[in-house]
Amino acid sequence: MTAGTIPALRSGPRYWWRSFLMMTRWEIVGLRLLLPITVFVQLLTGAGFVLGVGLFFGQIPPRAALFVSTGVIVITLATVGLVLGPQLIAGQKAQQTYDFIWSLPVPRSTAAAAWIVTNTIIAVPGMVVALVVANIRYDIDLVISIGILPGALLTLYTATMLGYAIAHSIKQPMLINLITQVTIFALTGFSPVNFPKEQLPGWLAALNEVLPLLHMANVMRAGLTEGIVTGLTRSYAVLGLWAVAATMVTGWVLRRRQ
Amino acid sequence: MTDWTFRATDVTKSYDDGETFANDHLTLHVEPGEVYGLLGPNGAGKTTLVKQVIGLLKPDSGSLTLGPTDLVADPDAARQMCSYLPQAQMPINSFKAHEAIKITGMIRGGSADAVAARRNELIEALDIDEWRDTLGAKLSGGVKRLVGFAMVAVWPGRVVILDEPTNDVDPLRRRLLWEQVRRLGDEGVAVFLVTHNVLEAEKSVDRLAIIDEGKILAEGTPSSLKQSDRGRLRLQVMLVPRSETPELPPFVLGHTRVRNNLIAVVPEAAAASGIGWAQQLMEHGVAEEYALGATTLEDAYVRLTGDIEAKASATS
Repeated sequence: MTAGTIPALRSGPRYWWRSFLMMTRWEIVGLRLLLPITVFVQLLTGAGFVLGVGLFFGQIPPRAALFVSTGVIVITLATVGLVLGPQLIAGQKAQQTYDFIWSLPVPRSTAAAAWIVTNTIIAVPGMVVALVVANIRYDIDLVISIGILPGALLTLYTATMLGYAIAHSIKQPMLINLITQVTIFALTGFSPVNFPKEQLPGWLAALNEVLPLLHMANVMRAGLTEGIVTGLTRSYAVLGLWAVAATMVTGWVLRRRQ
Repeated sequence: MTDWTFRATDVTKSYDDGETFANDHLTLHVEPGEVYGLLGPNGAGKTTLVKQVIGLLKPDSGSLTLGPTDLVADPDAARQMCSYLPQAQMPINSFKAHEAIKITGMIRGGSADAVAARRNELIEALDIDEWRDTLGAKLSGGVKRLVGFAMVAVWPGRVVILDEPTNDVDPLRRRLLWEQVRRLGDEGVAVFLVTHNVLEAEKSVDRLAIIDEGKILAEGTPSSLKQSDRGRLRLQVMLVPRSETPELPPFVLGHTRVRNNLIAVVPEAAAASGIGWAQQLMEHGVAEEYALGATTLEDAYVRLTGDIEAKASATS
């Protein structure tokens, strides 16, 4: 009997934890070549957006500057989860390496958890740099509270799980990329992330009340500012529902076999 | 004592249209320690079958079991007990060769020390030590394939599925790889080998099945499958490029042509006539060389799966 023959099936919390650690290691080493450039692009995107808005408008009123600056970091987090993540999975599908990864003997949830850790590593530097640049450029009144932690975590988690569910449920890599492109377009143009929702037409504002992006912006902004976010509990509730739904869909997609 | 035989029973899997069958009531078994080959042309349904074993696809009907474990009902158990080398290259561009092997072994449940020791053995046995610290992105296709093999063999479980393991591997290291495949068998692992390389499989497998269009056409040991070719020889004639297939003499029992390679099956009694015919072809400038030899598994394979050229032209 070989050393590698499994004496008994593994299960339980220790198996889960070990699988999670190993998959996190797998993901991080797997991104070794891409990680520096990906983090750099995130830095450029965040800082570039902050500075770009300033160049476009010249003078920005303080309240608008505060909205843009805090909105940009929501965009950096949401982009990682909803765009970058799915594109990496689309790449695995295009290169036909997807099958091997999903044949590995780990609980599916540990692969998802490792993915969230990886996305956090990619997203956080861009978020911090965008805030620092915004502070220098616009001299905004940031009031950073502990609320930023649950806000950022919930935002990143929901965006990552939504992106994960999209990427795993669609077979065609091209289609995944197309959907993520549309998502980023909607994210920056039609969601009240960088501006107050009152500036949208009524129906679009109403639609955003049930979509997650407005609420991602609210929970993040509440942790970075004082006095401009209302209805925070509702935002946490809506975003929490999206997080639960995305988790359930992801769980279903990952267990599904064709 | 548990019997850990792998069994596929009446496995049927249709494509998305629900009418064409990738696997059509397939039944086979692989015992622990056995190297079992699944041979067939492209699109025969080989990969579809192994993807069902590992839980990437689900059969429409039929069962896949490993000893007492129902692999269809429990894909988590299937992944723990079966390791899988897919036909595509491994996703290891960012990994150093030794890291990729070790991390996979640890994901498969081995302890760091035991996996490292087994990894070192495999690196040495496959003669890939000079690329030990090289990133996957910089490895040639063949070396990457060998690293991939080491990734699944380092902590193999009870069943190892190898889908075209020797693709891109140089002839010398192919031998080393087959030795390690054999060793897995000797250690009690059931090896499920998917290939269309008939000649290599002949030397490496204990038993095999030839499948086409989702059905098993024949199953047995390599010699039992060659049995109906007893008393026959294969006359291989290398034709001049782009020449027409010459008229075949009446003693030729069957033939196939792949590009310039014409293989004619002749009775042993007609060996001299066969050589005479081939020499004539060379004199007339139709052929460049010929060889007469014993029939191989490839002849049985071609007989069962049909004329490759005829098939290619029928599907094109």
